[in-house]
Amino acid sequence: MKEIKTFQQMYRDGHVNRREFLAAMGALGVTAATAGSFLTSSSALAATPTRGGSVIFASNLHGPDDTLDPLLGTSTIDYTRANAGCNGLIQIWNDMSLNPELAEEWSVNSNATEYMFKIRKGVTFHDGHPLEAADVVWSMNRHIEDGSPSSIGSFFTLVEEWKAIDKYTVKLTLSSPDADMPYKLTQPQAKIVKKHTTNWYKCGTGPYLVDEFQAGVKSTHSRNPNYWRDTGQHLDGMEITAITDPNARLNALLAGSVDMVITPSAKMIKKIESTGKHKVLSVPSGVYGGICCLKNTAPGDNDDLVQGLRYIQDRERIVRKFLKGHGTLGNDHPINISYGADHCHELPQIPYDPDKAKWHLNKSGYSTAELFVAPVSGAIEDTCLLMQANLKKIGFDLKLKKVPTDGYWGAVWMKEPLNVVSWNMRPTANSMMGIQFGPNGNWNDTYWNSDRMGQLLKDSLAETDAAKRHEMHCEMQKLVSTESGIIIPYHTNILDAHDSKIHGFSNVPLGAFGGNGWAEHIWKEA
Amino acid sequence: MLWRAIVGRLGLSIVTLWVVSVLIFVGTNLLPGDIAQIMLGQTATPENTEALRVKLGLDKPAHMQYLVWLGNIAQGDLGISKAGLGAGLGTPIVEVLGPRVTNTLRLTALVAVIAIPFSLFIGLIAAMHPGTQLDRTVTFSTLSLISVPDFLVATFLVLIFAVYLGWLPSIVFLRGNETGWVLIKTLAMPTLTLIIVASSQIIRMTRATVLNVMSSPYIEMAILKGVPRKKIILRHALLNAIGPIVNVIVLNLAWLVGGVVVVEIIFAYPGLAKLMVEAVLLRDLPLVQACAMIFCGTYVVLIFLADMASILSNPRLRHPK
Repeated sequence: MKEIKTFQQMYRDGHVNRREFLAAMGALGVTAATAGSFLTSSSALAATPTRGGSVIFASNLHGPDDTLDPLLGTSTIDYTRANAGCNGLIQIWNDMSLNPELAEEWSVNSNATEYMFKIRKGVTFHDGHPLEAADVVWSMNRHIEDGSPSSIGSFFTLVEEWKAIDKYTVKLTLSSPDADMPYKLTQPQAKIVKKHTTNWYKCGTGPYLVDEFQAGVKSTHSRNPNYWRDTGQHLDGMEITAITDPNARLNALLAGSVDMVITPSAKMIKKIESTGKHKVLSVPSGVYGGICCLKNTAPGDNDDLVQGLRYIQDRERIVRKFLKGHGTLGNDHPINISYGADHCHELPQIPYDPDKAKWHLNKSGYSTAELFVAPVSGAIEDTCLLMQANLKKIGFDLKLKKVPTDGYWGAVWMKEPLNVVSWNMRPTANSMMGIQFGPNGNWNDTYWNSDRMGQLLKDSLAETDAAKRHEMHCEMQKLVSTESGIIIPYHTNILDAHDSKIHGFSNVPLGAFGGNGWAEHIWKEA
Repeated sequence: MLWRAIVGRLGLSIVTLWVVSVLIFVGTNLLPGDIAQIMLGQTATPENTEALRVKLGLDKPAHMQYLVWLGNIAQGDLGISKAGLGAGLGTPIVEVLGPRVTNTLRLTALVAVIAIPFSLFIGLIAAMHPGTQLDRTVTFSTLSLISVPDFLVATFLVLIFAVYLGWLPSIVFLRGNETGWVLIKTLAMPTLTLIIVASSQIIRMTRATVLNVMSSPYIEMAILKGVPRKKIILRHALLNAIGPIVNVIVLNLAWLVGGVVVVEIIFAYPGLAKLMVEAVLLRDLPLVQACAMIFCGTYVVLIFLADMASILSNPRLRHPK
């Protein structure tokens, strides 16, 4: 077992890649499925859970806009609270598997336009009120009503109607096929809340009750004694707060003032692990930092300029040096290996090639450009500086205009011709591609429009043949990586750090500590 | 004469508050984006941003929003924090401010109670023995500490007392029901940081002003009379030096109420300064205004008190030429 730990460490530090890791595990006689979980799980070797205790969780951002209404959630702290207090219809869990939650089971018709959800009986909200189909319909309709502030409204544009067939059956009708709908229902904003609720403290059915909530300060939670399922609920309670300063957050962990902190920087990992009392959780994910070249304006409308900027990215160095191995190479489209079957492994990795970059940039006719940079992603500033230095060697003058993150998304992103961006991973390849590159995408941040892309997005949602679907996704990834204006040098792992006495995290790459859904599963050694 | 000064000062204070409110309003409006856009961040679309704007009452023109706010504040109504309003939670600002004001005042009081007597004592001791080893040590250490920014002091204290020694918590978790020893332990780190930073200035000012007075002819007279040095300083010098000392104390108090952003952030202390920064980042205008009014009000009141103390201690100021 010691060897496994050693290899885990090597993988985390970037000394071996995923393939080498799995090969090494094979040599040690570990099956592929188990080995895969060793990649991400630090608790694979831990003992049986103990009950009791509490944890203090520190996120990175909070403020007066913290909310207990899942629909309005915009940050890790909101999603974490939504997961502690509420349940969804369907839950995403280890290895991106779909699991029934408040929907006991669901079925879909052959062309994926009608879904039937059987709602679980005997579930009660925190105020004692029983869950019924009407609550589900009301909760889901909030995303599609006129003037809805829902940030995932775009996932539900195909919804024609949510209808309660009887007290425990809900029917969803779509205007065109969407085979990905179950994944979209796992989003934290899509949690089910009590119909017509105004008391957001008791809006959900989740594993932990909200005892106290003070926006921008903290919330405290205690075990829900009437929870409808047995997932452990090992902790008696928890405190959810945030420490905005990264060094203060790390110090709070090291000093034992908090038990779990999110997003330590890659540079801090050595320090955290050297204590022997803390662990880093590193989950490969589709999160990425990138550069947007607007295709509807100069200079991004010049394909050669974008291509030149692609070849100048020294991706291996970025992942090795700036991410300390806690990331994966980007291939200029968002769908990396974390998206599973939809990732196109056939697509060759674009190399660092200054000669080709020089050729393309000469052909573009540009010798200078200005890029707006804000620290929106851990390694993006270093990446841009490296790019500037490498461009200088081939006679191209890239000017970096540093701007603050405050107000960035409204004032710079999708406005300045060249800017930087970060994207979280979405639950499916189609939803990720759709919101960023689809014809109805709200966040087409490179203003690239392709009819073929739109067609493929629509068709792949209806395609049930795995091979054909993969082919379609491959074509989409190729289109984005050659024609759009997005440059994606790297994907970052989701990094969290915790007291090594805490165990039981999942490997869902959609948010902090295993997709923000840790509350009812983790346990703390006494 | 004194009453006229007080009334004049009050009028000026109200004008000051009003000017500050206009400046804050214009300044916040100059920042890119509004609260709807900031709240939605990267997930903003024209549709959901507009929907949120209407819910928050941001569809009215800016000057109207200001006039509405001014009308409300004239009646003592601070308004409703925009943040969280989208959920129908819309918290009255008084409720948001309440616990933060308590926290800030608690920390300020704790620091003031310790730092002021301590600094006066050290400052006077240094003034009593000018040029000695003791005086040079005090001067050297206070000068060094003034030059070190507060976040560095805070970080060093965290490293020493929380990370290495493990005696004190590195951040402040107030549960609201702490008393006695537990409360002291919880607040120890930020208090210590602020005492170190605030004391240095007061010590230096005390020493300098007292020494300044010590060189005046009437002190020379007292020395010649044979008054003991201790008595000279406490009775003859200190009372005449009180004006500038009170001024520096008051400025430090005002800074403790509104200016300790960095310390509050490092210790995750839920005080007023941190709230104001969060409100600005969110463009939550009513909340920004409320904080600004509190800070500005504190300055106005404290500086007024300092001026009064100067006038009382120095009869010459009571009769301007």
